[in-house]
Amino acid sequence: GFTFVFFTQVLLKVDIGAHQLRLKRVAAAQPGFISFKSSAGSDDLNSGQRKRVNKNKKKNWNKHSDIQDVEEFLDDVRLQERATGGLISEKPDDSLFFVDIGEQRKYVQPVQEGKKGKKSKSRPLRIDLILQHDSLVPPPKDILAHQQPNAKKLRRIAENAAKLAAMGVLPRRQKRLLNRRPAITASKSKTAANNFPDRPYYDLWGAKETADPYYLEQTGKKRVKRPEKLNSKPSVLPAVEVIAPGGSYNPDFFSHQALLLEAHEVEVKRERAELRIERQLAVNRDDTATETVFQELVEGLVEEEEDEDEEEEDVSIRGGLQQEKKTEKERRRERADKIKSQQKQAARVFTDKKQQLFQLRSIQATLKRGEQQTRERVAQRKANQEAEKSMPRRLGRLRFQAQDLEVQLSDEIPGSLRTLKPEGSVLKDRFKSMQKRNMIEPRERAKFKRRHKVKYVEKRAFREIT
Amino acid sequence: MGGLQKKKYERGSATNYITRNKARKKLQLSLADFRRLCILKGIYPHEPKHKKKVNKGSTAPRTFYLFKDIRFLLHEPIVRKFREYKVFVRKLRKAYGKAEWTGVERLRDNKPGYKLDHIIKERYPTFIDALRDIDDALSMCFLFSTFARTGKCHVQTITLCRRLTVEWMNYVVTSRSLRKVFLSIKGIYYQAEVLGQLITWLVPYQFAHDHPTDVDYRVMATFTEMYTTLFGFINFRLYQTLNLVYPPKVTQYLDLTFSCAQQKLSALSASLARVVATAEEEENQLDLFPTEGEDQENMQAREKEQKEQEAQKRLFEGLKFFLNREVPRESLAFILRCFGAEVSWDKSLCIGGTYEVTDETITHQIVDRPDMDKQYINRYYIQPQWVFDSVNAQMRLPVEDYFLGTTLPPHLSPFVEEKDGDYVPPEKLKLMALQRGEKPVQEDEEEEDEEEEEEDDDEEEDDDVDDEELTEEKNLKKLEGTRAQGKTLAVKVTPGKVKPWETGSVGNKVRLEQEEKAEEKRLAIMMMKKKEKYLYDKIMFGKKRTTREVSSLRCAPAKPTRPSLRPFACRWR
Repeated sequence: GFTFVFFTQVLLKVDIGAHQLRLKRVAAAQPGFISFKSSAGSDDLNSGQRKRVNKNKKKNWNKHSDIQDVEEFLDDVRLQERATGGLISEKPDDSLFFVDIGEQRKYVQPVQEGKKGKKSKSRPLRIDLILQHDSLVPPPKDILAHQQPNAKKLRRIAENAAKLAAMGVLPRRQKRLLNRRPAITASKSKTAANNFPDRPYYDLWGAKETADPYYLEQTGKKRVKRPEKLNSKPSVLPAVEVIAPGGSYNPDFFSHQALLLEAHEVEVKRERAELRIERQLAVNRDDTATETVFQELVEGLVEEEEDEDEEEEDVSIRGGLQQEKKTEKERRRERADKIKSQQKQAARVFTDKKQQLFQLRSIQATLKRGEQQTRERVAQRKANQEAEKSMPRRLGRLRFQAQDLEVQLSDEIPGSLRTLKPEGSVLKDRFKSMQKRNMIEPRERAKFKRRHKVKYVEKRAFREIT
Repeated sequence: MGGLQKKKYERGSATNYITRNKARKKLQLSLADFRRLCILKGIYPHEPKHKKKVNKGSTAPRTFYLFKDIRFLLHEPIVRKFREYKVFVRKLRKAYGKAEWTGVERLRDNKPGYKLDHIIKERYPTFIDALRDIDDALSMCFLFSTFARTGKCHVQTITLCRRLTVEWMNYVVTSRSLRKVFLSIKGIYYQAEVLGQLITWLVPYQFAHDHPTDVDYRVMATFTEMYTTLFGFINFRLYQTLNLVYPPKVTQYLDLTFSCAQQKLSALSASLARVVATAEEEENQLDLFPTEGEDQENMQAREKEQKEQEAQKRLFEGLKFFLNREVPRESLAFILRCFGAEVSWDKSLCIGGTYEVTDETITHQIVDRPDMDKQYINRYYIQPQWVFDSVNAQMRLPVEDYFLGTTLPPHLSPFVEEKDGDYVPPEKLKLMALQRGEKPVQEDEEEEDEEEEEEDDDEEEDDDVDDEELTEEKNLKKLEGTRAQGKTLAVKVTPGKVKPWETGSVGNKVRLEQEEKAEEKRLAIMMMKKKEKYLYDKIMFGKKRTTREVSSLRCAPAKPTRPSLRPFACRWR
């Protein structure tokens, strides 16, 4: 059968305008208005006691006039507009009612268990649903969407520009852009690394200083002059020392022997130093305190009385001497002796001086000898200083240690260039050469030192197995 | 009396020096940066004369710098760059830690860098100063260019070194300035004369690297950084002197391997040489001025010298070489091109070979194996040592000693200069004879030659007239011999002496003159003071002793061509 489902009936038209308040009151009083929600506050409005307030003050008007019904009504109107797109009372009946023609067959979606994941993917997220715009009130119209301000002017300008472009005349702005100096991006952006393989070079010594020296000085751009002394090399040794002729890949017999001898001497010296240390560390059997075990056991038990006697005697003699007092006669004699010896000494000096007059020649000779000696020493010192210029200096904690001589033994000499096995390392040679020329101080590789002790723990899994 | 007591260590040497750590703190740099700065600026530590005074009474060994040097360092703009870099690293690390990749990128884009140009200019005010100091730079760059791409140093550094060394070799080839080569067990020593400066450098063999652990790679890299900059500027200037375009085209091939870059030597040398030719000819014509007396003689000598040099530069000109695969291609190609030869190698070996083995015009093929299967008749098969020895001898040596499979004569060091009376290896004597234009005919005659030369070299001043006469006779014989041989002797004997010899009567005059001289000398010896006589005798004795020793040495080895003795059995470390 037919059933008319009654939804809502709206009887009131509301003019939302200046006289809202009054109208709403009217509306609330209207019996035909159908509110969207079941109105709860309508009872409160009628019931309850009216409070008496003085209405001659504006404050009281605001405070004690009840506008809740109006607000509710307006809310309701807005809700209706949002939810249905207009007031329900204004809607035609067709849109509000429909004819119920029995139970409609529900379309049941076949649930496929395998596609569960896919289905869930196709469904929009809940958050999207929440955020969806669901108001039926259409957005306000943008008037400017359909019309353009100054359209005519713009059109004219565009036409003009097109004409000029066809003639080949560039607009001023573009011209200015073209005329602008290109930004100095290359130099500003990066200073290329010093080991950049394609780095450019230029004539470093050809370019003359063009800037005004006064300007440079005032702007603090003037470089400090390098002291002349710094340009002297710290050693007189050549940068590349050529190996001795014996170091040829196919050496002459004697020069090879000479090189071998040199290496041999180095090795002998090293061995001697090692031996010396060993000798010093060795236990000397002669230094044992006593010769036999028996003596060692007996030591101290047998007393040696003779020594003690002597000591006693010494003490007695000394004591006796100290106690004795000099007599007057002795003192006089002593004084006389002293004067006599002094006189003798003076006479001796006098005669010596006198004698020196005759020794003039020999004195001169000694003087000459002394001078000669000084001169020799000066020369020697100078020679030493010269030699020291080519010696490695002590520049730090460690001393310079020369590289091992590169030598190939007689049976290692290759027959041809193809079979040559190079000796030593050029890298090390260069490094040592710099140390030798006092350019860098000899250092040793820092040893790795563990801060904390490593604690070894047997893992449980491992322990279980064993 | 009065006044304040002088405080210790507030004046004198104590204030002239500064310890490394103090200097470091003064500059606000880390130790590594400080060391880098010192290397770049060429400031080296000093050993004070009175260490205890400088060290404020302590005797602990420390590294000292001169205070003035450090004060000079304070003005260096690079110091600020170092500090900036330190900050940059700190920021970068932080950005990494926070995984701020855009920040990392931004920081990397603004990485602070520095230039060494002004330091080079400051350290070497003129070009010649720089050229004098290039030995180190050359050796270092050649060394780094042989490094493999291990983590020991930056790949870019290696590439740059390769580029610079190839440029240098190209310069040497085009300017023909190579003088000496020495194959040692360590590496190959080269010597070139560039703008009047003798420059020596050491090139390691190609596959000879084990990286030693006791070398500070950071220090070496810093030196290399400085040297590459210096080297590049020098290269530029050198190319300029030859009117060449500086970055030569070789550099385009840098991303290939080194040997391939080397191959470009072949293509390049031809094209460069053409450009040079005009300039070279201009240079070589000496201005002639009418001069008299000694000046003229000097001029003549100089001219002769120059002619010799010219001849040396064209040592291998017109020869066509082919390098077998087992010989060191780089060095041989370099040397041969330096002296104007054409070089090629197997195409499968490396690019750059210009002709095949089958080419009929090849004059020499360099081989280093005991035997060859297929041999061409119209070419010499020689061992590589021939090239090196010929360069050192400044002449094309006879190829017989260097044929395929023969035992080679010893390779002598060209860097040794024997003084009077020193031991000279017999091979060297032979070589000197060859240079003089004498032909070693047979073994016994050779012996005689040597003795004669010894006489020549030593110029013994014997008292005995008999000896004098003997030498004279020998001289006579020699002169006759040379005359018989022909006109090849023009090199050593001055024309002024040979010409009068042809007429017999004048020969007597010469002899008389010599006798007179000897007589005079004897008289002078007789007139000597006792003291001087003693000294003279001593000197003469010493001389005689050395010559005796030398002669005994020379007699001792019956056939010492291949030393196989083993006198010291231990191995040197």
